[in-house]
Amino acid sequence: MLRIRDASVTFPASDGQDVHALDHVSLDIAPASIVVAVGASGCGKSTLLNAIAGFLPLSEGTITLDGQEIVAPGGDRGVVFQKDTLLPWANVLDNVALGLKYRGVPRGERHERSRHLLELVGLADFAEKPPYELSGGMRQRVGIARALATDPKILLMDEPFGALDSLTRETMQQLLASVWAKTGKQILFITHSIEEALTLGTTIVVMSPRPGRIVARFDADFVRDFAESGDIGPIQSHRRFIELRQEIRSLIHQPEGARTGTLQ
Amino acid sequence: MTLAANSPTSFQPATAQRKPSLRPRRAASTSTFGISLVTLAGLIALWFLAARFGWASPLFLPSPADVLTQFTAVAADGYANGTLLDHTLASLGRIGAALGVGIFVGIPLGLLMGLNRWVKGIFSVPIDLYWGLPPLAYLPLLIIWLGIGETSKIVLLSLSTFAPICFAAQAGVRSVPVERINAALSLGASRLQLFTSIVLPSALPEILTGLKIAIGAGLSTLVAAELIAAQSGLGYMIMSAANFLATDVVFVGLIVIAALAFAFTSGMRWLEHRLIPWKGKL
Repeated sequence: MLRIRDASVTFPASDGQDVHALDHVSLDIAPASIVVAVGASGCGKSTLLNAIAGFLPLSEGTITLDGQEIVAPGGDRGVVFQKDTLLPWANVLDNVALGLKYRGVPRGERHERSRHLLELVGLADFAEKPPYELSGGMRQRVGIARALATDPKILLMDEPFGALDSLTRETMQQLLASVWAKTGKQILFITHSIEEALTLGTTIVVMSPRPGRIVARFDADFVRDFAESGDIGPIQSHRRFIELRQEIRSLIHQPEGARTGTLQ
Repeated sequence: MTLAANSPTSFQPATAQRKPSLRPRRAASTSTFGISLVTLAGLIALWFLAARFGWASPLFLPSPADVLTQFTAVAADGYANGTLLDHTLASLGRIGAALGVGIFVGIPLGLLMGLNRWVKGIFSVPIDLYWGLPPLAYLPLLIIWLGIGETSKIVLLSLSTFAPICFAAQAGVRSVPVERINAALSLGASRLQLFTSIVLPSALPEILTGLKIAIGAGLSTLVAAELIAAQSGLGYMIMSAANFLATDVVFVGLIVIAALAFAFTSGMRWLEHRLIPWKGKL
């Protein structure tokens, strides 16, 4: 269980007016759930992820993972970045095995586990290739396999499919849903796409900028169907899906002054 | 190809292929190697012609044949207290020692300067101060301090190779993408693992670029220092020959230096190909 309590992050700005990137956010991420944070640019969703990952210190509040307070980056939280961060000098297999190498897992064992994960993300045939010979979608799959390799308690995904074309993006969403169904990992997923949020989230939190806050949260269950059928079409034309999409869209596009009081 | 096939005037793809194109095709056809080779041959031919038809006095431009004769003579019998090989080895020994100092002191210190505010604060001032000076300006001072022997020359050369390598290592550390660091930290990397598995390899392209600059700086300082204060080396040989207006021996010296520079450049290219084939790829 990941617990976020009254988390605030304030950046000093050059004009003296502090920027409240994150303003008293509280959120729980239960095991085996996918929490998707959606919102416009600057709503603090990436700040939230970076704080959980330990890349950014909180100005106020606490974040705990299974009772342990988060103060620094660590191997118990796997991160998948928007821009892939694979090491160009290592082949795909060694990239996936990197976290295991840091833990001192012997070479044979870490390669075996990494091969297994490459199979899970459908890249078994690319183990020996350098990452720069792979397409953007494939590189993100390697990134997911790498984050899963150390068996982290939670997977943090920062707009991982944002830079992909829409077709690849759909394949990747499908892949993530099936990986989630197989591993039962708890996931925090950041996106600016409402459709993606509804397709993947078991909980969707809508965030708004200046100051970065959670303005609404919804529970959804489309991801289970999606993981089973692998077909995005019927899900996105579901009546409830369309209703929720409309509701979230109007929340995101609401003028800033009218937003107070919508917090559920 | 497709365009050519559709065009009514060209029936054979082969004709179309021979046409000059501004568009990039295969890698082989974008290589400039052939063109460079022809240019080099042209320059040598021009030299032959100039000597053959006496466009310039042999005092200014000796014929290729004379230079070749001198080359074998200097290689076999020597010139200015040593054979060509002696002079070449003397020069190579100096630049080799200087590059050794530059690499073994410059890289670690540069890495530390990139990693630690204190180290950077302390060392950047003296390095900035001396790096701005032309090496030959402080050579007399080094000779006063260290004598006319090898020490002053090697120190001079080391100073000129050290700074670019040190700066490059420092820049290399600071050029590591922050996402790459964060990724490694979230995979559980310790500080030492972060350094060896992420920072060092990420800094390698910059370090090799610094090494290339250091070799260039070292070679020019080397020859200049030998021209002024040495009893051996290619620069000394050239200077001695020039004093007797032995232009052909000057040419021999210049050709050997050019060959050395070319060998260094090729060696660096090979090293980059081996160590960082991924440079600029991701």
